[in-house]
Amino acid sequence: MKQSKDPFESPPESPIQTDSDTEDPSSNSLISQLSNTRTTIITKNNKDEQEEEKDDMDIYFAMFPADVPPKIAKMHSIVSQFTDQQMRRYESFRRAKFTKAQMTRLVASINGTNTVPELISLAVSVITKMFVGEVVETARIIMEERRESGPIRPSHLREAHGRLKLEGKAFKRTVPRRLFR
Amino acid sequence: MSNSAAGTSSKTRAASSQPSEPSSKRRRGVFHRELQHMMYGFGDDPNPLPESVALMDDIVVEYITELVHKAQDIGSQRGKLSVEDFLYLIRKDAPKLNRCTELLSMNEELKQARKLFEHDDENLRKTFEDDADG
Repeated sequence: MKQSKDPFESPPESPIQTDSDTEDPSSNSLISQLSNTRTTIITKNNKDEQEEEKDDMDIYFAMFPADVPPKIAKMHSIVSQFTDQQMRRYESFRRAKFTKAQMTRLVASINGTNTVPELISLAVSVITKMFVGEVVETARIIMEERRESGPIRPSHLREAHGRLKLEGKAFKRTVPRRLFR
Repeated sequence: MSNSAAGTSSKTRAASSQPSEPSSKRRRGVFHRELQHMMYGFGDDPNPLPESVALMDDIVVEYITELVHKAQDIGSQRGKLSVEDFLYLIRKDAPKLNRCTELLSMNEELKQARKLFEHDDENLRKTFEDDADG
C-alpha cells in the first residue's frame, strides 16, 4: 500500500486549502489506522454522499460550463491522484447499480401490483445502494476492531447489520400493523 | 410436475435443473452479480466470499421489503404509492435523503434535456424540408 500520495488525510469537511499538503501521512486519527484503500472508501463515500455527482456529470458540465461547483473540482483533483487499485475500486463503486428490471420486479412483488412507477424503482435502488455501503463499511470497522483481515465474512455482516438496527438505520422486522383496512 | 409460480420460483427452478450435488446447490440470489461489484466498490475484497454475497442479498431483500411495506403504510392514506413516501421514510438519514433528491432532480433534468433535443430535431427537420420544397 502506497503511503506517499494519499489525498485523504484531511477530514472531508475541511476547506479546500488542505488539499495541498499531501506529505502529511496521518492526520486523521481513526482513518490513519486503516489501510489506504479503505481510507479512500470511507472518506470518499462521505464526500460523495455530501456532494452532487453522478455518472452523467459530464453532460452536466456541458450544460453549465461556467458553473463548476468547487466541490466537484475538489473531487476531480482527488480522483486524478488515485493509485491503480483505488481507481479500480472507485470505478466499481460508481458503476455498480441494481438492474432496473430486477428491482422493479422485486418491488412489484412486494407491492402486490404488476408494475411500479419508474421513479419508485429508482429511489429504492438509490437508497438500497447506500444501505449496502453502510453495511460494508460497518463490517470493515468491525473487522478492524477484531483485528482480522481479508475478505468480509458473514459473521461481520451479521454484526454490522445488528449495529445498524440499533442505530435505527436498518429496519427491524415489523409485524404487519394493518389490522383495520 | 408444475413449478409454483411464486417470486422465488426462479431460485427453485435453477436448483432443480442442476444435477443434485451433495453440498453446494447453485442458488443465485436476486442481486448476485451487482452485489459483488458493489461490495468491492464499498471496501470488500475484489472477490467477495459467496456466503457473504448471499447473506448480503438476504439483508438487502429484507431491507427493501421493510422499506416498501413502511411506504405502503404511509401511502395507503393517499391511496397510491409515491416517491414522497420514500423521501419521508429516509428524512432522518441526511446522506440518503440528499443523494435521493439529487438523483431525482438529475433524472428530471435529463428528461428535459432529451425532450429539448427531440424538439430541436423536429424543428431542424421541418426547416430543412421547407427549404427543400422551395
